Amino acid sequence: MATATTSGLRTDDSVKVVLEGRITAYTAAPIWKDALDTLARNPDRPIVVDASRLEYADDVGIALLFDLLRRDRPPQAKVEMRDLAANLAALVEAFDPKDFAQPPPGRPQIGILEHIGRVAAQEVAYVKTIAAFLGQCAGALWYAIRHRGLVRWGEVVSVATEAGANAVPIVLLIGFLMGVIIAFEIGLVAQQFGAVIFVVNGVGVAMLRELGALMTAIVFAGRTGAAFAAQIGTQKVNEEVNAIQTFGLDPVHFLVLPRLIAAVLVMPLLTVLADVIGIFGGALVMATFNVSFVLFYNQLLGAVDTGDFVLGIVKAAVFGLAIAGIGCQRGLATGEGATAVGLSATSAVVKSIVWIVVLDGIFTVLTS
Amino acid sequence: MLQTPNPLGSVRPASSERPPAISVRGLKMGYGTRVLLENASFDVKRGEIMVILGGSGSGKSSLMKNIIGLYRPMDGDILIDGTSIVRARGQDKAHLQCKLGVMYQSGALFGSLTVLENVRFPLDQFTDLGLGEKNLTARMLLRQVEMGYAEGFMPGALSGGMLKRAGIARAMALGSDILTLDEPSAGLDPITAANLDRTILSLREDLGLTFVVVTHELQSIFAIADRAIMLDPVSRSIIAEGKPSELRDRSDDPRVRQFFNRQSDAAMHKAKP
Repeated sequence: MATATTSGLRTDDSVKVVLEGRITAYTAAPIWKDALDTLARNPDRPIVVDASRLEYADDVGIALLFDLLRRDRPPQAKVEMRDLAANLAALVEAFDPKDFAQPPPGRPQIGILEHIGRVAAQEVAYVKTIAAFLGQCAGALWYAIRHRGLVRWGEVVSVATEAGANAVPIVLLIGFLMGVIIAFEIGLVAQQFGAVIFVVNGVGVAMLRELGALMTAIVFAGRTGAAFAAQIGTQKVNEEVNAIQTFGLDPVHFLVLPRLIAAVLVMPLLTVLADVIGIFGGALVMATFNVSFVLFYNQLLGAVDTGDFVLGIVKAAVFGLAIAGIGCQRGLATGEGATAVGLSATSAVVKSIVWIVVLDGIFTVLTS
Repeated sequence: MLQTPNPLGSVRPASSERPPAISVRGLKMGYGTRVLLENASFDVKRGEIMVILGGSGSGKSSLMKNIIGLYRPMDGDILIDGTSIVRARGQDKAHLQCKLGVMYQSGALFGSLTVLENVRFPLDQFTDLGLGEKNLTARMLLRQVEMGYAEGFMPGALSGGMLKRAGIARAMALGSDILTLDEPSAGLDPITAANLDRTILSLREDLGLTFVVVTHELQSIFAIADRAIMLDPVSRSIIAEGKPSELRDRSDDPRVRQFFNRQSDAAMHKAKP
């Protein structure tokens, strides 16, 4: 197979560039570079490109030939193409250098302040959107309470199974590890002060009031909130949401309500499991600090009360409502194309976690 | 006789000694145990526009995916430029696949890249060219498919016809002289479809590209095809091969006449003596 080369051979005043062999996408890079270097080294001399031995040029080769001819050079230093095959010459001449005078448009670049401003405006708009959406959801819930027969209970059970029962293993694992970690970290510090027994109080209060609901909510957001956004987003992209509307049905009632009800029902149940397994994990660790299970149990009964447990459960229900609402809203707000579905799912997870923390903060202020 | 233009950018006329661009020999293909096509053999000559046609479910797109090496046939062989893509492995197979430009039904542009970046993508991956050189090549390709004005657009902002034309430009980026197009006219309005047909014809005339086009759009078939093969899902075979106009006017096979005359089954039964 022939190779392509260029060379800058001086003949009289002009500089000769020889192109030979095959110029393809795979061989063009060094040839193109050499040719442009030759042009750059001889800004005031005429350039003669000898293409008599050029055997083949693909689209990259044609671009190379065109690039050599379109260069803006002084009148006495023009580039002249010699012995270029007629079919190649026709292909090169089909392009007008003026069309390529401007650089290709880049992606729109915006400054940091403009970016911050845009994001802030988007968030304000999002708060308005989510408020309006929650209003729609509240209306749908109120309607469902008055017309229970119209709720798609089969869909509620299906979603609850997927979002609840199928999430039990991961919730148990996370809850158990949280209990173990809290007990171990606090235990090591408390041991120095001879206050190991009070680690039980810490584990109990933390799991029941805070971490049981919080960690379950984060798992729920990543697993179920994203799934809700992706499912409804795909239905939006496939125009299924439009089909629902043209049947005279309300997408919020039809798609969102079953998910909201399922989420509010299963989040507290998952949180109970996380609470129990987290405290069990803490008890296991405390056994290594010479706190027996019986002692742990008695200390726990004195440290927490029903209010702590109920607070965790109420939080879980509110978190579930927020996660399902955000996931469904992001799904319904999905744009066009498969990429938009991915963006909706990502956005649902991020916004859910932010709102979980915000709501948790509000609960803490109101109940402390 | 078919006029075969010179291969892309070649100084010499196409040699009659060169093997066909694509040669399918005794192909048997399908999914799992379900056979779609058996004992199929045909050639695609250089510079030819060959159309694969047939009703829905006849295996047109599957045949294309076998040709481009995405699916493995159950039996038989497919030669690209005289080399088997069925038996090729690893780098050899990748090298053969680079000879084939593919445009998928939806254009399959990457949604996170601009149109220009999409066309430049194969050059970014497989060449050592500088950014300026790659941009120039990609912009010239986009102008060849009359998409120069859209180089900064994101794919989400393009219509169906624009997506397909940008898909063709991307398929040509590595200098592939065999392009396979899956349903290029499907879902397009008549004007856009006609523009796309014209683009295909001008690419063949100007650059000497070989096209394998999967379609069942009759107007497109008559506008662009030099030759067509027709697949039949019932007999799982090629039931017709030739110029579309000859198949329409002279075929003895009622299935072929029904297809080209766009007749319903009821009309066919009524027409029977």
